[in-house]
Amino acid sequence: MWRFAWKNLLTRPLRTTLALVGLSIPILGVLGLYSVSGGLKNLVDDTLEKIQGVVVLRENAPSPVFSSVDPAYVDRIAAIPGVRAVAPEVWGIPPTVEGSSLMTRAVSGELGGLLSGEDDRQRMERRMQTMFDAIVLSGQDIPSHEDLNTAVFANAMVPAEQGGGRFLDESDIGENHIVISTKIAENLASPDGTPKKVGDTLRIGSDPETADVFEIIGIYNTGSMFLDVVMITDINVARRVLKEREDKISNIYVESDDPRRINEIAAAIEAELPDVDAREMDELATDFTRLLGDLDTFLLMIVSLALLVGVVGIVNTMLMSTTERFAEFGVLRTNGWSRGDVLLLVTAESAYLGLWAGLVGCGLSMILVAVGNQFVGGGLKLALGPGLIAFGLGLSVVMGVLGGLYPAWRASRLVPMDAIRLGSR
Amino acid sequence: MIDVLDVTKTYRRGDQQVDALRGVTCHIPRGSCAFIVGPSGSGKSTLLYLLGALDRPGGGTIRIDGSDLTAMPEPELNGYRRDHIGFIFQSFNLINNLTAIENVLIPFLPRGVNPMQRERAELLLDEVGLGDRKHHRPRQLSGGEQQRVAIARALIKNPVLVLADEPTGELDSKTGDEIYRILRRLQAEQSTTLVVVTHDRRFIRPDDIVLEIQDGLLRSDGQPQPGHLAEAR
Repeated sequence: MWRFAWKNLLTRPLRTTLALVGLSIPILGVLGLYSVSGGLKNLVDDTLEKIQGVVVLRENAPSPVFSSVDPAYVDRIAAIPGVRAVAPEVWGIPPTVEGSSLMTRAVSGELGGLLSGEDDRQRMERRMQTMFDAIVLSGQDIPSHEDLNTAVFANAMVPAEQGGGRFLDESDIGENHIVISTKIAENLASPDGTPKKVGDTLRIGSDPETADVFEIIGIYNTGSMFLDVVMITDINVARRVLKEREDKISNIYVESDDPRRINEIAAAIEAELPDVDAREMDELATDFTRLLGDLDTFLLMIVSLALLVGVVGIVNTMLMSTTERFAEFGVLRTNGWSRGDVLLLVTAESAYLGLWAGLVGCGLSMILVAVGNQFVGGGLKLALGPGLIAFGLGLSVVMGVLGGLYPAWRASRLVPMDAIRLGSR
Repeated sequence: MIDVLDVTKTYRRGDQQVDALRGVTCHIPRGSCAFIVGPSGSGKSTLLYLLGALDRPGGGTIRIDGSDLTAMPEPELNGYRRDHIGFIFQSFNLINNLTAIENVLIPFLPRGVNPMQRERAELLLDEVGLGDRKHHRPRQLSGGEQQRVAIARALIKNPVLVLADEPTGELDSKTGDEIYRILRRLQAEQSTTLVVVTHDRRFIRPDDIVLEIQDGLLRSDGQPQPGHLAEAR
């Protein structure tokens, strides 16, 4: 029976191929979207794993850049039992860096690309980089950050023997010294393509007369596109560059004396200070997963339309196929095939169609994900695991079966005599 | 044996009601050869299909070897057709995707073909002279060869009844003669009852049963005999 169903599909190769393409493209879309969201989730999880303390922000602030907390809270948090270290920080988007902002870099990149005759791959790489190039300046209170066990950037320094220099220490207080990532160093490369290195200078500010010139003293690399956009300097220097008031604090990074009690510490901080959010990373990860889930649902609704079109394609193909084969179904019925047998035959054909569409969709997805991972940097790896592939295949088979049910039901309801007469016309 | 008692069948064609059979009664002994003859649209094929349980009559009963087809539920009818009735059609109706031997084995495909059934299919194809064309597809066979495959398919299940609807209607006379020779030989060997709808009376032998049908009624001696036994020799 299954072999027979398979042969029936091969009878009309062009029609079968068109139906197969119609369903495989939405499957490709589903897998593509899920691989992007899966990759993002992995990246966020990896990033948050590096941050093991509690980040205290103004209530409802989306990120440290948009947060401001009362400086008096530093001492109040430090007094909470179980708190081991309290490290204030200032965050902000710096004015132009090395004479260019994100917008000017994007425009000049396009022009440069046109003049240099870059190929498609180079253009895509450049645009992807520009998209994630929004540099953020972080000012750290150096003495308190030296007390941290889980200081993210200090723990991600490129080894000194590989040109990584050093992280900030108390000798850098009040100095225009800065630590940047390897990614920023590459993005701010000199015209001959040489990346910034330790000992080079960096100008922050739009006016050449008043711009701050920083000495690069260290280079770090966390491998995460979310973190590798941060330049770190002394907190007072950052306040000056960002034109913030002298006691401005964006957020406070808090460590517990027992990492297992971090949730209790977060709860205690929020109880003590009602106008702040004390975010520990599990909570952030959960929030992000929920956000991705909402995004997945939204995207799935869009892809569902494409899936619906694919299913309609299969319904159409199978209806045409069954209408042409009325006499055949009549012959099968005269030879003792039951309605269920005919139903199963046609459904098996559409299931095969779904299976093949799934295989093609999954194959294309694997190729596109492999190619996409060559272009996307910053620690983002599009994730297309066996589970997702199995889901894609299963979804495709289910869509195929659904698409075949009505034509199969119609074929099975034919009275054998009528089927033969209709088919013989 | 086949007993048909006062069978009626009515169709709707658009707004019109068509009485295809208007009370047909007949008796066909087991192992005999019966021909249903008559003009186009007289109800010949309708009677044949009712005998093959392909449709249900509007009234009356049809019994084959004591089994009342008109009272059988659908699943039982499917099984009856699969195990006891063989069909041969005018336009052969082979499945183009399948080879000759696969076409012969069609009745068994849903539940899987066992080696004995395959062996018998090969034997039947040998007997109809297609031993060397078992793996050819219908398009690779002539009309006569396709009809021989259809005969083998009808006989694969050792049926008690073989029904043939104009089996030589699309063949030239020489090939038609050959088909009838094969059909009669195998019918005799297997003691099967053979019922044939035909326009061509030259294949009818003196000892065959002739059921002449006109306007949905059985006739003998050219006169309508509704409800009467029609067993002409």
